[in-house]
Amino acid sequence: MTTAVTTAGPKIAPVPPEPPPAEPNYLNVSYSLWSWLTTVDHKRIGLLYLISISVFFVAGGVAAGVVRLNLLSPDGAFVNEDTYNRAFTGHGVLMLFFFLIPAVPGVLGNFLIPMMIGAKDLAFPKLNLASWYVFMVGAGFGVWALLAGGIDTGWTLYPPYSSRSSTSNVIPGVFGVFISGFSSIMTGLNIMVTVHKMRAPGMTWGRLPLFVWSLYATSLIQLLGTPVVAITTVLLMVERVAGIGIFDPMIGGDPVLFQHLFWFYSHPAVYIMILPGMGVISEVLTCFSRKNIFGYHAVAWSSMGIAVVGFLLWAHHMFVAGISFYSALLFSFLSMLVAVPSAIKVFNWTGTLYRGSITFQAPMLFGLGFVVLFVIGGLTGLFLATLGTDIHLHDTYFVVAHFHFVMVGGMVLGYMAGIHFWWPKMFGVMYSDWWSRVAAAIIIVGFFLTFVPQFVLGYHGMPRRYPNYPAEFQVYNVMSTAGASILGLGYLLPAFYLPLSLVFGKKAGANPWSATGLEWVSPSPPPLFNFDEANMPVVVCGPYEYALGVDQLGRGLPPGPGLGEANDPASKSEAPAAPGPMKKETEVVG
Amino acid sequence: MSASTHSPVLKHHFGDLGQQHASERLGMWMFLATEVLFFAGLFGAYACYRLWYASEFEFASAFMNLKIASINTVLLVTSSLTMTLAIRAAKLGNKSGLYTHLLLTFALGTGFMVLKGFEYAHDFHESYLPGEGTFVHSNMQTEAVARGLDTGKVRLFLCFYYIMTGIHGIHIVIGLGCILWLVQQAYANKIPPENYSTVEVVSLYWHLVDAIWLFLMPLLYLAGAHLKVGPH
Amino acid sequence: MNSLPPLIPVVASTIGYHFEALFWYIMVVCTLGGLGVYAALLYFCVAYRRGTTTGSTPRILGSHRLELAWTIIPTIIFFSFFGWGAVVYTKAMHPPQDAMEIFVIGKQWMWKAQYPNGQRVIIGGNPRNMTEAERKSIGKLVLPVDRPVRITMISEDVIHDFGVPAFRMKMDVLPGRYTTTWYHPTKTGEFHIFCDQYCGTWHSLMVGKIAVVGQQEFDEWLGGLGSYQGSEQPVDGSKAFSGRQLFLKLQCIKCHSADPNAAAPVLEGLYGRRVPMKGGGAEYADAEYIKQSILKPRLKVAQGWEPIMPSYEGQVTPDDLDDLVAYIRSLKPGTTPNRTDRMSPPVGAPTVRSEKKE
Repeated sequence: MTTAVTTAGPKIAPVPPEPPPAEPNYLNVSYSLWSWLTTVDHKRIGLLYLISISVFFVAGGVAAGVVRLNLLSPDGAFVNEDTYNRAFTGHGVLMLFFFLIPAVPGVLGNFLIPMMIGAKDLAFPKLNLASWYVFMVGAGFGVWALLAGGIDTGWTLYPPYSSRSSTSNVIPGVFGVFISGFSSIMTGLNIMVTVHKMRAPGMTWGRLPLFVWSLYATSLIQLLGTPVVAITTVLLMVERVAGIGIFDPMIGGDPVLFQHLFWFYSHPAVYIMILPGMGVISEVLTCFSRKNIFGYHAVAWSSMGIAVVGFLLWAHHMFVAGISFYSALLFSFLSMLVAVPSAIKVFNWTGTLYRGSITFQAPMLFGLGFVVLFVIGGLTGLFLATLGTDIHLHDTYFVVAHFHFVMVGGMVLGYMAGIHFWWPKMFGVMYSDWWSRVAAAIIIVGFFLTFVPQFVLGYHGMPRRYPNYPAEFQVYNVMSTAGASILGLGYLLPAFYLPLSLVFGKKAGANPWSATGLEWVSPSPPPLFNFDEANMPVVVCGPYEYALGVDQLGRGLPPGPGLGEANDPASKSEAPAAPGPMKKETEVVG
Repeated sequence: MSASTHSPVLKHHFGDLGQQHASERLGMWMFLATEVLFFAGLFGAYACYRLWYASEFEFASAFMNLKIASINTVLLVTSSLTMTLAIRAAKLGNKSGLYTHLLLTFALGTGFMVLKGFEYAHDFHESYLPGEGTFVHSNMQTEAVARGLDTGKVRLFLCFYYIMTGIHGIHIVIGLGCILWLVQQAYANKIPPENYSTVEVVSLYWHLVDAIWLFLMPLLYLAGAHLKVGPH
Repeated sequence: MNSLPPLIPVVASTIGYHFEALFWYIMVVCTLGGLGVYAALLYFCVAYRRGTTTGSTPRILGSHRLELAWTIIPTIIFFSFFGWGAVVYTKAMHPPQDAMEIFVIGKQWMWKAQYPNGQRVIIGGNPRNMTEAERKSIGKLVLPVDRPVRITMISEDVIHDFGVPAFRMKMDVLPGRYTTTWYHPTKTGEFHIFCDQYCGTWHSLMVGKIAVVGQQEFDEWLGGLGSYQGSEQPVDGSKAFSGRQLFLKLQCIKCHSADPNAAAPVLEGLYGRRVPMKGGGAEYADAEYIKQSILKPRLKVAQGWEPIMPSYEGQVTPDDLDDLVAYIRSLKPGTTPNRTDRMSPPVGAPTVRSEKKE
């Protein structure tokens, strides 16, 4: 059933002319290394994060390569058990604490939040710079731990193994995690205050882009979760240094208490990793399907719902860890609740595509890949949240596969979608369209081949963190490693075409995707303070008025994505919105 | 409006001073939320063990130096008052009052740390230390055995005692540093009356550190005050 | 390279069947839901691609009815997972009363098991990491088919996890605290035991085998006749075990043996019984009485026996007394050791200092 309602808004302003390139823009205002290392510009800090996390991603990827290659043979293909343990721990620590957690908030959040809400900078620019330095100091300790021989505790750091038994470099590694936690808190605090206090006139909460909503929810978790893991790591370090502490079973301490405190942060932390990716997807899917987001409020509030409920279900990591029977029941119940907002998001994204006009540039391919993989990642989470199935699947490769489907299939693809979507804004150049689409396809296919066999392995009972395994598991391990090599190839491609585009890429205009957000108002790359300071933006409508063909300032949109090429037949069909009263029928479905 | 948009203390990326101050205040409140969660981890852990090992925790608490802790409580609560008076002085543009109250707060906080130092020295002297090797020499060990208590759990309490007071002490020291920074800012004329919120933001932090002590005091010192053991 | 294993791995316990039913229920529901989303995505991507559509799109903001539908329906479905899962979990966490009890101790990097009769076996682990005696006792955890077994577990060092995929069960093994799990094996055969909680360098070698056998074969094995290797040293982390060690060490067994010519009464089934006293009267053999008898044996002598027992005052600590009482309490008819038994080597049975106060 479809009814139509006619709405009239403010007048549509004419399509603005392409703004002249900003002179100076934030990139060319100064060139010295010193000016970069002392910058308080949120955009430059975003790029500092981009460079540093890329390094850690490569390092974590190498560790993953060691793990996967070694699993080719049931007795370990080329490294011994000890090296293997250090490799998977290095992979986990680097990827989680030094890549996934800072990835979208540190790079895209820093760069985009002020631009999206129409501010000149984040509320605390110096704090922002400090957060990068703190992150680098933390990462320095992490790297020290790795170079000194690595850590072999697993990223979960459970005592008493980590506090007493391990002979590896636990202290510098844990100290690195502790320090980089403060960076996470600083970024979260900065983003929250900025969203509260720095919004442009007219940018009401109901007009915030969903990326901002999801980063806001993320920041809430960073702010309230990270301190708990900070104190937990302090307690762990004290116990290791002093030889006695509150998790020590010899004096009546309870190592399970560590798990409670650890997961109180580390479960919400997976939402720190996935929520920003979800925010990116809401931006990308709307833009490339030329549609308003389906159910804006549902998507926005589901982010907040995930952030809040996410704090109440940490013990579902501990159903077989010796916790009370009744608390297991409670936490399983609450875990089911958090699946609901995730499902709502997926349905709304799908609904957004309905009757759209869809093009498939790289950001969209990554975005669709995100939805496809996240569906599997989310649904397999239900097997682990259900008590009766978790008693078998817990700590097996099923968990590994589920986690990677959400973190890599979700977060990394979301991050890639974001980088590809905002790359022209960041650097003012366009990367190779063809190669980027190829990379997206290879990554998605390689990902499937890597992790689907791991679900089967887990169901058959292969435990995680095993360099030696019974021979009957070899088939699936070989499949997984083969897939991983395809995935690795897929990751290599952007490492070439993105940097190359800086030199050879076509110049991108202010708004190459014909998108509606405020970040596209300024020239690319943006000027020092993001906007024309004499003429700060005033927002007149919501973020995704693609159907009306207006941006958030109420101005018409330039020609759409990929429509610049003369041989594209569709370019003729999309006339820019005609100036006049904002008027279009709003259709009601369902 | 024009006064607040052209103040020398206004930072470039803010529209006016009202927005700047509101941001600073909100930022500090959010940081305090972080701090609360930081200590909540400790308090939560303490609560578990306090329930499981009630008699050992009460017993060990009775050995803590209640006298010094009481004086310290008075010092900290008073310092919160002087800190608040410093805000008032800053708001009124009373520079000498600002100095006086900031330095008074600093003195009270330092007094707290000095007394804490004496308390630690006393604890060390009496071997009230969680390590097994030193703890066996303390009268706490002897008496715990005599009462049939598990000395491991008594030592667990001592772990909490040192970690909680230690982390709180670090917060006090950071707060003292911030107060000194305020003095320097006032000296450099960076705290005109319209920018008093700088003082207010530091005071918020100071009050929180004070409030946390008000929780540590009963947990660590008063839990066993009713017992007739220890050095009374 | 091996051929593909079967789609559904072998199920060998009652809980396993419960697991499979639940697992495939969730699988079917999730697959349908996921395929539904995929079908919609695919259809939209094909039908509404640019080229068949113009850049002009309808302004659709959402639908309250649809939002409600796709909030409520998934919630109900998810709760059905929870409910069924809770039922299975309840079964899995509550062993039946009549289950046979086996102690399992986890240690870097081996599993040690002890049967009710004291039969002990080391179930796998890293041989490089073991003593000669331990290497000799490597065997399998032999279980009778169709009979519930409760496994009580504790760790000597770090956290381990005792997982048996064929039984679809696992449970963490903690230092300083007992955890339990239970199985009702339904199939004979040999199955993997994995340590599922990362425990250090040779975590992946902390694996072993369970052999589920018929009742008769099981009895023969327990009697020392079976082919599944094992040794006869009891080991567990309980106070009763420490008491048994003391009982042998202090040479109580010299007199309190099951030997018909023994100089002192056999203590099987003594605990809680009313014992007639020399010179009239009777005493309940409770903890107090037993402790007093160890410290001041000549105060109250059981009828029919000579007051020849020496006092152990000063030789035993209060803890030792508790252990001895626990051991005597656990002595069932036929379980008194031989007079010639020596204290077993210090295999490192952990002493749980004390139970948590509830």
